[in-house]
Amino acid sequence: MNTATGIIKALNSGIKHLAIKRFTLRYPEEKLKFVGDGYQFDPSTGVGIAGSKGRHMLFHDKCTGCQLCSIACEGVAEAIGMVKVPEEHKHNKKAIMPQIDYGKCVFCGLCVDACPFYALYMTNDYELSSFSKEGLIYTPAQLQVKPYVSQDVEIQITNRGATHG
Amino acid sequence: MSKELLPGLALQKVDERIMTLNVGPQHPGSGHMRIIVQIDGDFIVACDPDPGYVHRGEEKMAEYRNYITNIPHLERPVIHDSCNVLYPYVLGVEEILGIEVPERAKYVRVIASELNRCIYTMYWLAIYGIFLGHSTMFMWPAGDRELLIDLMEKMTGARVTHAHFVPGGVRNDLPANFEDVCLRQVNYFEKRIKEYAAVFYDNPILIARTKDTGVLSRQDAIRLGTTGSVLRASGVDYDLRKKEPYDVYDELDVHTNVMKEGDSYARSKVPWLDMMESCNIIRQALQKMPKSGSVRVKLKPNPKGKVFDTVYKRVESGRGSLGCYIVSDAKPEPYRVKLSVGSFRNLIALPYLLKGEKLGNMPSVYWSLNYWPVEADR
Ligand code: SF4
Ligand code: SF4
Repeated sequence: MNTATGIIKALNSGIKHLAIKRFTLRYPEEKLKFVGDGYQFDPSTGVGIAGSKGRHMLFHDKCTGCQLCSIACEGVAEAIGMVKVPEEHKHNKKAIMPQIDYGKCVFCGLCVDACPFYALYMTNDYELSSFSKEGLIYTPAQLQVKPYVSQDVEIQITNRGATHG
Repeated sequence: MSKELLPGLALQKVDERIMTLNVGPQHPGSGHMRIIVQIDGDFIVACDPDPGYVHRGEEKMAEYRNYITNIPHLERPVIHDSCNVLYPYVLGVEEILGIEVPERAKYVRVIASELNRCIYTMYWLAIYGIFLGHSTMFMWPAGDRELLIDLMEKMTGARVTHAHFVPGGVRNDLPANFEDVCLRQVNYFEKRIKEYAAVFYDNPILIARTKDTGVLSRQDAIRLGTTGSVLRASGVDYDLRKKEPYDVYDELDVHTNVMKEGDSYARSKVPWLDMMESCNIIRQALQKMPKSGSVRVKLKPNPKGKVFDTVYKRVESGRGSLGCYIVSDAKPEPYRVKLSVGSFRNLIALPYLLKGEKLGNMPSVYWSLNYWPVEADR
C-alpha cells in the first residue's frame, strides 16, 4: 500500500466516527447501573453474591460484636475499629460494632466474607468524598443507613456503535 | 585518589561530545522509572535503565499476612491486570494447601484473566499511542476499554483491583444473564479493535516510525530471557497458555501470534493480535463452561501449610510469563513469596535495543517492550 492511500484510509476511519454515537458517560448526571444491591456473602455456602463493592452496610439487629470482620481487615488495611454502641441489642453482649475508616479501606470485601452472621454487606454507594479525614470515618449508626442511589444507565450496543443508554 | 570509590559513586570519564540525560523518574515518557541515556548528537550511545523508584516491598509484606489477606495487596503491582498477577499465587497456594478447584470456577477464572489481559493491553496501547503523538490512539482504546471494565465490574464488583481469585476458586458466581452481556460486549469489542488497523497499524506514518527500530533478533530474544509478546514478536512461538496449560487452557483452542521481524512495530502488533485471540478464548470458555455448580470450595479459617513446602507456578500475563515462588511454613502466613515478573525480564533487553537508535525513537522502543514499572519494582 502506498503512503497516500494509507493516510487517506486512516483519515477516513477517523471521519466515520462523526456518524457513530458518543460513548461518553456524562457522570454526575448519568450513573452506571450495577448488578444487584452490592457484594454480599452467604456464609452457609461460602460463596459470594455478585455486586458492586461500595460502601458497607451494617445490620444492627444481626451484628453480635464478634470482631471477625475487624480481624479480617487487620492484614489488609486496618480500616475497621470496634467501637462501643448503646446496649440495645441482647445478642450483642459486649455492645461493640465495627466502625469503618474509608480513608484506609481498599474495598476488597474480605470483611464481608468473614462475617458469619449476615450482618455486614456492601452497597452500590461509591460517592464517599469528604472535606475532612474525620468525615471519612463511618460510625455504626452511619453504616446502618441504606444508601440512596439512582443508577440506571447501561451500555447499549446498536448498529451505530455503543452508547451509554 | 587512593581510596577506591564504590561503583555507583565513581566518576565516569566521558567524551566532550557525549551528553547524559535523565529521562524520568517522573517523566510522562518513562513511567515511574529513570532511563539514563548518553547521547552523541541525536544518537544514543549508551542507556542504563534504573528501575526501583516505586518499590513497595510487596514480597516482604506477604510474609506477615495470611494466605487470604495477601490477596488484596499482591494484586497492586498491576492494577489493570490484577487477576493475572494473582493467578500464579492462587495456583501455588492451592497446591500447598491441597485444594481441588471446582470446574466452573476454573472457567470463570479463565474468562476473568482473559478480560483482564485485554484491559491491560488496551491501556498499554493507549499509552503507546500517546508516546508516538497519536492522540486518536489514546482516546479510542481508553474508551473501548470501558466495555470490558464494565464486564469486570459486573463480575467482580470493582473496576480495577478486583480481589476476585481466592485459593479454592473465585469469590462470587457470575451474575444472572452475564453470558449474554459478555458475549455481546466482547463481540463488539473485537469489531472495534479491528478498526484500529486502518488508523494505527496500517498507518504509513506509524510504520515509518517504528519499522526497523530496536530490532531484537531471535537469538538475542532467547539469550536475554525476554518473555511474552516481546519473545513472540522475535519469532519464538512460546506461550505458557499453550506450553504449560494451567486450569482449563488445555481444553480450549489457543492460537499464538508470532511475528518474525522483532522490531518495535512487531512488538506493538503482537499484543493487539493477542487481544483478538483473547476474545476467541472468552467465547469458547463461555460455551464450554458448566452452566451451574459451585465456584468456591470452603476453606478452614486461617489454613496452614507444611513446613518448607515449596511451589513454583507461572502463568502467561499481559506482559509475559509471571511466576510465583511460595515457601510455606507451619503457620497461616507463607514463609516467602517471590514474584518473577515478565516486565523486568523484558527491560533487560532495553540497553541493547537502544544503542545506536535516535533519541526520538526511545519512547516507542521502550514502551514496545511491554514494560510496567510498578510490576518490575514490586
Ligand atoms: S473492604 Fe477490605 S479494606 Fe475495607 S474494611 Fe473490609 S476488609 Fe477492610
Ligand atoms: S459485622 Fe459481622 S463479623 Fe463484624 S462484629 Fe458484627 S457480626 Fe461480627
